[in-house]
Amino acid sequence: MNRIDDSRIELPRRVFLKQAATVASGLAIALYLPGGIAATDPKAPTPAREFEPNAWVRVLPDGTVKLVVHKHDSGTGTQTALAACVAEELDVNPMTVQVITPEDPFFESYIHPVWKVFSTGGSTSVSLEYERLRMAGATARALLITAAAQQWKVRPDSCTTEDGRVLHAASKRSLGYGELAGVAATLPAPANVTLKDPAQFKYIGKLRHKRDAAAKVCGRFQYSIDVQLPDMLVAVIERAPVIGAKVLSVDSTAALQVPGVRQVLAVPGRPDVLGGNLEGVAVLADTFWAAQEGRKVLTIQWSDSPLAGFDSDRLSGAQAKAIGDSNTQTVKAMAHGDVSGQWPGAAQLLEADYTMPYKVQNPLEPICITAQVKDNAITYWGGVQVPSMALEAAQTVCAINKANVTIHERVSGGSFGAREAKYWLFEVAFLAQKTGVPVKLLNSREDEMHALFNHPATLHRVKGALDAHGQLSALQLHAVSPASPEQWEPGYFQRPDHMDYSTTEAITAWDFAYRPPHLDLNWVKHESQVPSGWYRSVSFIPNVFAVESFMDELAHAAGQDPLVFRLANMHERPRHVTVLKQAAERAGWGKPLPAGTALGIATNQGYSSFIAVVARVATVDGKAKVEQLTCVVDCGLAVSPGGVEEQIYGGLMWGLGHALYDRLDIKQGRVVQSNFHDYRVPRMADMPTTDILVLDGEPGKPGGVGELGSPSVVPAIANALFALTGVRQRSTPLNLG
Amino acid sequence: MIAFTVNGERRELDEASPSMPLLWVLRDQLKLTGTKFGCGMGLCGACTVHLDGVAVRSCQLPLAAVAGHSITTIEGLSPTQNHPLQVAWVAEDVPQCGYCQSGQIMSAAALLNTGAAVTDDSIRNAMSGNICRCGTYGRINKAIKRAANAPKEA
Repeated sequence: MNRIDDSRIELPRRVFLKQAATVASGLAIALYLPGGIAATDPKAPTPAREFEPNAWVRVLPDGTVKLVVHKHDSGTGTQTALAACVAEELDVNPMTVQVITPEDPFFESYIHPVWKVFSTGGSTSVSLEYERLRMAGATARALLITAAAQQWKVRPDSCTTEDGRVLHAASKRSLGYGELAGVAATLPAPANVTLKDPAQFKYIGKLRHKRDAAAKVCGRFQYSIDVQLPDMLVAVIERAPVIGAKVLSVDSTAALQVPGVRQVLAVPGRPDVLGGNLEGVAVLADTFWAAQEGRKVLTIQWSDSPLAGFDSDRLSGAQAKAIGDSNTQTVKAMAHGDVSGQWPGAAQLLEADYTMPYKVQNPLEPICITAQVKDNAITYWGGVQVPSMALEAAQTVCAINKANVTIHERVSGGSFGAREAKYWLFEVAFLAQKTGVPVKLLNSREDEMHALFNHPATLHRVKGALDAHGQLSALQLHAVSPASPEQWEPGYFQRPDHMDYSTTEAITAWDFAYRPPHLDLNWVKHESQVPSGWYRSVSFIPNVFAVESFMDELAHAAGQDPLVFRLANMHERPRHVTVLKQAAERAGWGKPLPAGTALGIATNQGYSSFIAVVARVATVDGKAKVEQLTCVVDCGLAVSPGGVEEQIYGGLMWGLGHALYDRLDIKQGRVVQSNFHDYRVPRMADMPTTDILVLDGEPGKPGGVGELGSPSVVPAIANALFALTGVRQRSTPLNLG
Repeated sequence: MIAFTVNGERRELDEASPSMPLLWVLRDQLKLTGTKFGCGMGLCGACTVHLDGVAVRSCQLPLAAVAGHSITTIEGLSPTQNHPLQVAWVAEDVPQCGYCQSGQIMSAAALLNTGAAVTDDSIRNAMSGNICRCGTYGRINKAIKRAANAPKEA
């Protein structure tokens, strides 16, 4: 880090970090560090007076406590929730201590424990970091206690802590953590540490506020777009209008005459890199406005592209043909029994196709990143959700190695998957290397709409058999979708099962809710050449839409109540049953409704959490209107209950958008929509009333919530519209009449 | 030279293009970066400021149009940064990513400036030009009512 040459150990200051061998829970803490060098190692330089027991805690002699949060916060409250996990065990106030981002984002401890890359996403930050962050806090606290106990010559277990101080009640003595930092820094790692009894929690499960609200309400908070550096140029890129098109010629004469425009540079496309950028032409100027003015007068001739005939309206036809096509790969997500044996004797056989269009993430802060290449090192300033991709860009584009990559991380103005794309990191790395000055790359809204690494259009064909008693005997699903960006990881599809876990969400053995006697759930891998990106809730969205709509269709065909029908097909799923029953009860399911009003229900599980949603729709002035969304959530332990409610409300809003608005069209290879006038997103006036209940879940483990809220909203609304109008809608956006 | 008032201070700009939108004058020339860019078409509200006390989308307002007028940005809403709306926003813990919130608060402040009754309807009307992608609409509604000291929604 920070320009250390390759011949030296990459992370010199980190070798002092201590690790406890085990914690009381028995969980090995090997995740912390590779067998560190003891602080007494003669080769080690004199340790700083700063106490750095692990990757997440810093205590300065003046008493300043800094907690490192190694996950990107895009407005999800991650910083507050993760800081609370460390702070709870360290016994400091997470709302008032300093929270910093990693000095070294590529330090081993910060690697994602499942994905093995440096990344934030998948609603995993709290659920997967919860225990080791608590251990980090507890280890630090144990060392501070030992330091105090040694000084006072008392037993460590006679000491307690409170808000940044070690106390010895019997002798009424106390010392601040800062006063103990120097001694604590010299102590060997504790053999084991004890985590707090959750009943003693002061912050976890109790937080109602986030740390940074005050700065965000007065315009002081600094986002990626606010980065200002000497000699910085602002870049905009006119990207290939059709995937695969190449620049034939550029006339930049007029652009270079625009005041403030400094350079026009061709940006080579990287079709050789999965997720790599398209070809483009960059305008670099003193300001974004000047760059955009210059861009308007660029004359670029683009080559033809094989995608020039692509039309998203025709995609579902091609997707339907892929089902059963021997040239198309079909992957079993879950199967038992013999579905095809059930079709001939079925009392009723139902079959339906569900489609969803392309959707764009549209974080309100457009993609923005600043980079500078200097002395064979690269520095990034801005919200980098996936440091591994910033590293890949540095290595691939600039041939800069890991030790020479620095990231000055910032909170970003939303991501929803947009900041898990890599094209912009490749582009900025190229421009930074080419110019040698700091380059701030900023997308316009039109660029966001056209960026293409978004949610793929899908087709789901579902077939079900009911027996003479109205029981579901067989269910079959073919989910036709391209592979997710998981495939960007080298070797992802080398596994024997060829499964893409991000495309088969909610349709695998662990997260599919229903157990009819015969079941066959498939992913049909259909690539359209339009790249997919990450998108909040990923494949839960189309998979839950299809399954939960079809369960509703089956229930009506069987003459059964949709709630009762669902419960009858669930086995040993107590948490799922509970959220369904409670949501139904809160929404008045089964009770008389006003005339012209109807309810629809749907449910999903994901990220070790469960949700059920009931939508209430009504006819108002001849049109259907979504009046209320009621939901009940079981996410286990809610570390930050306020944050959980926010994530669920946001998820409901996103689900409403999917149900009623989100739709990106591609005609002749070109994206049709360009801004919020023709790509609608939910506004305040669109929001129905919401009723969100977060259950007191099992205290042991927090589940994920960031992506839990949206998937069930679409089928809940579609099911309610069927109940209201008798018309079944199987394509989004749904028609309200 | 174009002269106007920003947050109570007279500013004279010699070199700015008269067609440059106020948003970029504020952000890039006056370094008032609290006002945000979201769409560039007056559709998202992130760039909302006050022109003589009325909410306007600064990305759609050429510099020439503000000559002689008074502009208030989020930085100048309150000299002590404790405008009732800002206090209420913190009390209700409104911001998530926070990127839209400068614009949201400026739209809400313009609503309060009108002296109109603060109701669910008037809030919806005043605020539906401001997009929030995180989903803070419910808390924005509460915060505006808190600031206006209006009774809470039943």
